[in-house]
Amino acid sequence: MIQQNFDAVIVGSGAGGAPIAHILTKAGKSVLVLEKGPLFRPECQTQNGRSDFKRDELISDGPEKRIQIPAAKNNGASYYSSHVEPDLNDEPHMYLDTDGSDKATIEGYTAQVVGGGTQLYGGVSFRFSPLDLRLQTFNAGRTDLQQDPKGEVEREARDWPISYDDLEPYYTKTEELVGINGQVQNQQKPFSRNVYQPPLPPNDISAVAKDGMEQLARQLQMELKLANPINPYRTPLAVITQDHAPSGRKVPAVADTLKTSYVNRFGDPLGCKSSTWVSLLSPVRTSPNFEIRCNCVVTRLTYANGKVDKVYYNDPSGVERWVQGKVVVVACSGIESVRLLKLSAAADSGFDQAIHQNDLLGRYFLTHCFGGASAVLPGRYDKSEALDADWATDCCAIQEFLKARGLWAGGAFYNNTSDQALPLSLFRTMGAQDLDSLWNGFMADTSVRAQGFIDYLDNSFGRGLSVSFMANQVPQRDNRVELHPTVKDKWGRPVAYVIKTWHSHDIYLMNTYATVAGQILTLGGGKLTGFQLAGQGASYMAQNGIIRIANHILGGARFGTDPADSVLDVHCRAWSFDNLYVTDGAFMPTSGSGNPTNTIEANSFRVADHLLTRL
Amino acid sequence: MADAFFFKDEQYLLNRCTKYLARYEVDYRHTYSTDGIQRPTDNIAEAWRFPIIDAYAGGANTVTSPDDFDDYNEVTFIHAGNHAHTPRSVSILCTFTGLQAAIPLQPVSFLGESSRYWSITFAVPKGQQHLYCFLVDGVRQNDPINPVVKMQDNGVLWSQFFTEDFAEPLVLERWEIDLLSRLASTIAPFHTDESQNFLQRYYYGLDLNTKLNQYSNVYRLDDSVGEVNYIDNLVAREERHRLIDYKLCLSQIDAVLRQRNPYTEPVKMSSETYDALYDQMAANNVPGWDTQQYGSPRYFLYLLRRHVAIGCFAHPKYGGNNNAAGWAYLGERYTTVPAGPPGSGTTLFDWRRAIEPPLGLNNDYHG
Repeated sequence: MIQQNFDAVIVGSGAGGAPIAHILTKAGKSVLVLEKGPLFRPECQTQNGRSDFKRDELISDGPEKRIQIPAAKNNGASYYSSHVEPDLNDEPHMYLDTDGSDKATIEGYTAQVVGGGTQLYGGVSFRFSPLDLRLQTFNAGRTDLQQDPKGEVEREARDWPISYDDLEPYYTKTEELVGINGQVQNQQKPFSRNVYQPPLPPNDISAVAKDGMEQLARQLQMELKLANPINPYRTPLAVITQDHAPSGRKVPAVADTLKTSYVNRFGDPLGCKSSTWVSLLSPVRTSPNFEIRCNCVVTRLTYANGKVDKVYYNDPSGVERWVQGKVVVVACSGIESVRLLKLSAAADSGFDQAIHQNDLLGRYFLTHCFGGASAVLPGRYDKSEALDADWATDCCAIQEFLKARGLWAGGAFYNNTSDQALPLSLFRTMGAQDLDSLWNGFMADTSVRAQGFIDYLDNSFGRGLSVSFMANQVPQRDNRVELHPTVKDKWGRPVAYVIKTWHSHDIYLMNTYATVAGQILTLGGGKLTGFQLAGQGASYMAQNGIIRIANHILGGARFGTDPADSVLDVHCRAWSFDNLYVTDGAFMPTSGSGNPTNTIEANSFRVADHLLTRL
Repeated sequence: MADAFFFKDEQYLLNRCTKYLARYEVDYRHTYSTDGIQRPTDNIAEAWRFPIIDAYAGGANTVTSPDDFDDYNEVTFIHAGNHAHTPRSVSILCTFTGLQAAIPLQPVSFLGESSRYWSITFAVPKGQQHLYCFLVDGVRQNDPINPVVKMQDNGVLWSQFFTEDFAEPLVLERWEIDLLSRLASTIAPFHTDESQNFLQRYYYGLDLNTKLNQYSNVYRLDDSVGEVNYIDNLVAREERHRLIDYKLCLSQIDAVLRQRNPYTEPVKMSSETYDALYDQMAANNVPGWDTQQYGSPRYFLYLLRRHVAIGCFAHPKYGGNNNAAGWAYLGERYTTVPAGPPGSGTTLFDWRRAIEPPLGLNNDYHG
């Protein structure tokens, strides 16, 4: 008999779902996780000691496929997706481009695999700052904001309904249970405890970025009259560097061999990257009260008596089944969570009325303002020995800096280390600013051939250094996720339709931060003979800049204290449902000053504690 | 008798079936070729993934010594039944097992119930290709989800698969491969004197068995590190939709070159001739090119550029980058300074550190 009733049914096994599954299972509750993607295991968990993840550049961005969606203006365009990203022709994300046309994009998808985005991500695990959670308060009455002629920042900024102090214990819990290496010192966020594992030695190339960050810190100290310079710290990364007791994982005898540059966009065959599978789900996988059904896509939820009644899913054969949960947690990556709720509403009027108690579902969709700068260094480094990022700085996220520059919110800077470290990643990202334009630059630069190919390698291989920033984006009501009116997925269901623009203040912020990223590189490398700043810029400048998401899929179902102004309450429960929770990035009212996974996980641990009070 | 077949766990199997095969819509969403012709497998995603070729690490009674594992692939056949008709039996006839006896597949279960999938797995040596078909309730049919088929001399069509390191022509003819080798040589970074010296030293340093077993094709004309072999493999399977581009354009290029010099075989023409052709293709202006047959020579050049670059530097299991010669080239060219004679200095691309044995030196990662 297949079990149909659970204390908790959790849709999605990534950063939003897995912490809840972990805590509830440990507390003895019956938990079912439904995951659309496959369960790809590390070597230590397979029948034959071979992992489904490989150190293979053709697994992260595979063979050519072509978009075959007549309604899309980019119909026929080539794309190259990872083995765990969705097939765009089966289930595209559509977006509205600046020319009024609809296009399909691979942007805005996290991986569809057990562990979700935490399998492929670079592992950058910042905390948000206390200021990030009270940007409404911070911006109230400000007259110094640049490029905000209509006062939208003040009108649209929202404080989170929880404070940093509320979240702090859960950050600590995340860092401990997930397994993160890093350095507390110099971070501009309060830490009650340091539970980081020690970072591995940085790649030599990163010394230039560190130097630049330190020089910038001294300049800002003088300019802003700070007591001390705000110096860089080792970027917190979700990769274990020592044996990790909470998850029972072990590192290789020489942990430094984990630095392979097969990190960002690659699942880890050794399981040392702290995906939610290896860190949170795998440790409870043999508990009799835990079950994960993989390769099962949830198609709709139904409503009865103020609750989600049933969760319908298609099993691996495509057969429809259903389950029931005392609580139902939706955490299948922001855009897809909104889509699932909207699909459920379209099929069930009760659900429709309850989820649309206001018109905010899908609205205030967010990503990050991001961009950076890159340089070609005169020296060469073995960039293949790297994790994703080495040094980070918070020096441009402090209030003094924001006020001096007329910015509404801050962001983090970090130097990428594994980018373009391997030959194919170097070639396919040549001139490409996103996943939709891989290979185009290399294919079109026909001077890169024979001796010209060697010259290109001489000039670029092991010599590129980049600094990225990740910063808050202004919430806009019309930035939203809808159901596309005509394009259907392989199950015949409308696909997600993303409509978004960048606010003029976003563009100002990105330009300001891109300049700072360039400054960091120039300060650090300028004294080296032959140093070249290759460029600086921001996501909005890309050919499809309007849809750039960086796979930081946030907002669309924000939480708050006012039922008229939010989709979810403070516990991430949908206001008109007794038992429906949304815990992926969709809950965020603002997008934070750094990569979001650590905060999604911390919030889910917080929600898990709430659920324990009612189960 | 020892069995070369075994059965993978259901999680492994469902992991590889659902995304590609499970669906309600049976429309042809995956027609990638520029000719727009729909193929029978275009209604599933990434049909080239079937049968599943994977690393072998035990399971078959015929190959039990870990020393031999790296010489084999696991080949997993999937038969996907449909909802309207559940077959009573599915078995496979395959040249690998000698075609004498049909070997039954087993149903794959989910939550203890039968799914629509059936499977069987074989340990097959690397570098081989085989033909097969299914018997579904005793009725012969080719594999409906594998687009790769081969016509036999007697006119019978069979499903076909090939394992890693396959180094014989699959879909390109000999003359096409030779011509392609010359074209690839205008792109790959291995045709300067210095690079040629490196390759000769590198391959010379390999042990005899490695050379004989895997790299006998390396020196055929200008296929420096196997990039043309990679392309042949690729357009036979993963980018099968691009085979038509190669067929049309190689034919065009052959004609263009013959027009220019009627007295010399194109493959024997000078490198200057090929360089000039490259430049004309880059400018999208090739005198003699029939744009009715294929619109844009530049478009094909772009495609070729991507394929050559991947063939030189992708993991060697895909048929190029022979014995990691492409990686080794980078590893030797880029060292700490001051570099002494070749081989001295510390490499600045220590690729062996991350890669599995026997190619690499990472003992924690098994490939």
